[in-house]
Amino acid sequence: MSIGTDTIKINEVVISRNKYNSDPAGYKKTTIDSSILVNYSNSNLSDMLSENTDIFIKSYGMGGTATPAFRGTDASQTLIDWNGININSPMLGQSDLSLIPVGLIDDVQIRFGGASMSLNEGGIGGTINLVTKPLWKKETLISINAGTGSFGQYSGLMKVKTGNYKFQTVTKGYFQNSENNFRYLNTEIGSEPVWQTRTNSQVRQQGFIQELYLRNSNNIASARIWYESADRNLPASLLTQPNTGEKQFDESLRTMLNYDAFKGSTDFSFTGAWMMSRLNYFNRLASIDSRNLSETLTLKAGLENPIGEYAKLKIVLDEQSSVIKSNNYAHNTTRNTATMTASIERNRNRFGTTILLREILDKNNLLIPDFSAGVQFRLIDNKTYYLKANISRNSKIPTMNDMFWVPGGNPDLKNEYALIYEISYEMSQKISEPFNLKYDLSVFRYNIKDMIEWHPGEYSYWTADNIQSVNSTGAESSVSLDYMRNKINASLKAGYSYTRAIEGGSNIGNDISVGKQLMYVPENKANASFRVGYNNIYSLWVANFVGKRYITVDNSKYLPGYFINNVSTGIKFTLKSSSFDMNFNIDNLFNINYQSIAYYPLPGRTYFVKILFQIVK
Amino acid sequence: MKNLIRIIVISLMIVSCQKTPELPNSNYTIGGGVFVVNEGNFRSGNGSLSFYSYDSSKIYNDLFYSVNGRPLGDVPNSMAINGDKAYIIVNNSGKIEVMDQSTLKSTATITGLISPRNISFINDNKAYVSSLYSDSVTIINLINNSISGYINIRRSSESIASTGNQAFISNWTGGKEIMVINTIDDQVVDSIEVGIEPESMVFDRYGMLWVLCNGGWARLNYAELVEINTSTNYVEKTLVFPTKEASPTCLKIDGLGTTLYYLDNGVRQIDISSTEIPSITFIIQESGEYFYKIGINPLNNDVFITDAVDFVKQGYLLLYDGTGKFISKLEAGIIPGSMCFKLRINT
Repeated sequence: MSIGTDTIKINEVVISRNKYNSDPAGYKKTTIDSSILVNYSNSNLSDMLSENTDIFIKSYGMGGTATPAFRGTDASQTLIDWNGININSPMLGQSDLSLIPVGLIDDVQIRFGGASMSLNEGGIGGTINLVTKPLWKKETLISINAGTGSFGQYSGLMKVKTGNYKFQTVTKGYFQNSENNFRYLNTEIGSEPVWQTRTNSQVRQQGFIQELYLRNSNNIASARIWYESADRNLPASLLTQPNTGEKQFDESLRTMLNYDAFKGSTDFSFTGAWMMSRLNYFNRLASIDSRNLSETLTLKAGLENPIGEYAKLKIVLDEQSSVIKSNNYAHNTTRNTATMTASIERNRNRFGTTILLREILDKNNLLIPDFSAGVQFRLIDNKTYYLKANISRNSKIPTMNDMFWVPGGNPDLKNEYALIYEISYEMSQKISEPFNLKYDLSVFRYNIKDMIEWHPGEYSYWTADNIQSVNSTGAESSVSLDYMRNKINASLKAGYSYTRAIEGGSNIGNDISVGKQLMYVPENKANASFRVGYNNIYSLWVANFVGKRYITVDNSKYLPGYFINNVSTGIKFTLKSSSFDMNFNIDNLFNINYQSIAYYPLPGRTYFVKILFQIVK
Repeated sequence: MKNLIRIIVISLMIVSCQKTPELPNSNYTIGGGVFVVNEGNFRSGNGSLSFYSYDSSKIYNDLFYSVNGRPLGDVPNSMAINGDKAYIIVNNSGKIEVMDQSTLKSTATITGLISPRNISFINDNKAYVSSLYSDSVTIINLINNSISGYINIRRSSESIASTGNQAFISNWTGGKEIMVINTIDDQVVDSIEVGIEPESMVFDRYGMLWVLCNGGWARLNYAELVEINTSTNYVEKTLVFPTKEASPTCLKIDGLGTTLYYLDNGVRQIDISSTEIPSITFIIQESGEYFYKIGINPLNNDVFITDAVDFVKQGYLLLYDGTGKFISKLEAGIIPGSMCFKLRINT
């Protein structure tokens, strides 16, 4: 439902028949509202996800690294995809969400647990799929977006989409600069609290996406390129000495070619992607100059064929090879992984079923195959009331750092794997004329085994081994209520998640952490938003609650929970083919002093003003 | 929806009930015992101070926070007592906490140090502090608790030992030298070449300086135990470890100054007159234990060992008597590290 600020009216024309993206029955998938994406166009993905979804983001604060955690799994068990191709660093196995600007993305899909398996392997917690796509219209859209705010923030974003029903080109470019020199109260040093200003926290970031699409009656071809670079200084913790001269340079270049063809009743899909990612870290004080370059080539081919009247068969082959050049590895290192996935989806009357089987070929060893089975039942004919259930075994190959880091990397590591159980209920209904209600509830259980943990080895350095296990149980629920009549439109959303992620122990003796909640996994998280529009004025309130998070493995210490409110209001004028939108935003309205990671302060009240100008011809 | 609001309200109420630190038994530092500096995890700020009391045979944890109401800092590395003052060197916070040694109340915080590691008191007015990441030893004015100067030794520094008018400073990471400083004018006067990565040092009863060189983490070189005559600054004796795999650390000496102790896959003992590295282990490290640091009570030769377990969970303080007999195992903080004895003469 898009209301009020929805400046980009996206007509829901199905433009891609990319078959890895279709939805198998029995799984949970959510899509972020386009109106939310517009509201966060000048922010990064970490802010948008932490304030609007069940995903907990561990953030080192403005400009600092931010990593996601689903349902008690860790950041390397969450995949970030770009149009179905994984973009996590092969070295770290994770993505820094603070480096992904929301303004470049057209659609954000979240696939929980087993639902990620239809996209690719390794997303034990889930997959966040970032979609960029064309509008198959004969028009030219130009939009310019500029904003500035507290602590030296300024940013700009420009998009040009043009073409016709057969050809489309999309160009997007952006920059974001921020000093992040906010003030905070340091109560941790000295006997009296002191006001301090964040130092060494500047971030400069820029990037662009260029996409070309070509469509014929029975095929679609596309070429995409995405470049990003970010230069940032890394601020210190409240307890560490300032000005250690820590900084990081990240650069990535991602290219992708895609060809989808439809022949008779069979659909074919081919994707080739080459991605480069550079991470250079410097620490002047400790004389660390760490240079890491990874290149990954992914080739993916898919085939989809109907079986009988109600079922279809999908086969996907995925080959990935990564080359790492790092001064932290003994030598340049290559890894090849091939996966083959076969799935059958059947939908008849009110029943839907999915069965998926996957084999990962790594180091020429055949491993125990992964699988997933889902069922779906529509409670009432022609109404959107669904009961869904699925069971999966999903595994994740070790990161290249776990295997090859010097010292301590262990090339003999096994894959981590999880058994995932999930039941969910979904409904959507028009209550009375102007009201529409949506509700969903999911209950999940994860048994994660052979988790990789670094531990002190025989000598004085640490080494990686498959020794840890985690059992995570929880529930997610969300409700949304929309109202639309005459000049008023309003939307209320609320979500709550409960996660009990319990350490199952490792084989290191005397394990006092067994049975305890994992560090930095909040048991309770809730978010709520209320949006109201009247004529050309709109307002939005977003509230986000994160419960206490333990910061020691024996749960003896924790960070208190926090409740953060953001408000935003704007006015929008439309003149024939052009529109002008001006928006004023206050984050952390009540100036709450809080931390996501212990001893890393987060900003208090923050103001941001932005304008958006758009022409459609 | 109603439930959701209820959950939010209840959660907010829970959040507002902050934990107040439990005050330790006020008698905890009366009598003899040993302070344990728990390093905590790098950048997590969960370092802490513990004290084992001989009077109660108990360990008291998280003392600095209990007394001062704030965390000790990031990676406290070592502690030393000088008169009625105790000093904790907090490595990654770049500071020294100066406390009253009996109440543990912080009386001053000396900031602005670069990766400080260990302190050595030269006289009542002056101390030297080593540095992992700078080329200088920092001079501390003990009267007004400030940095009064630097001695550029052109390399990083770790262990400091002083006697007479000389201070000996080891260049641990990547180094192989002991720098000698004249403590009257704070000038570098000499350097002594030893083995690879001299990590820890002690004086024996004859004033000889013993230096344990761990050979470097990559095991490309043999570790060495080196004896230096401090009146000539010449190496008197070098004992080479039998295999490159040996990586000994944490050299200590007993109260008589005749038996050396160190860690190398368990606690080892060697007499200062010995001519070769012993092959037997004095105290065996069991599976699941990770012996991190040792301390020898100079009055009764009790052996204290800190067990860092997996460097994530709470560690332990292990106590053995002078014959190597196990006495007790007590829960300490995260990564319990170096120790500092608080002596009572009749213990």
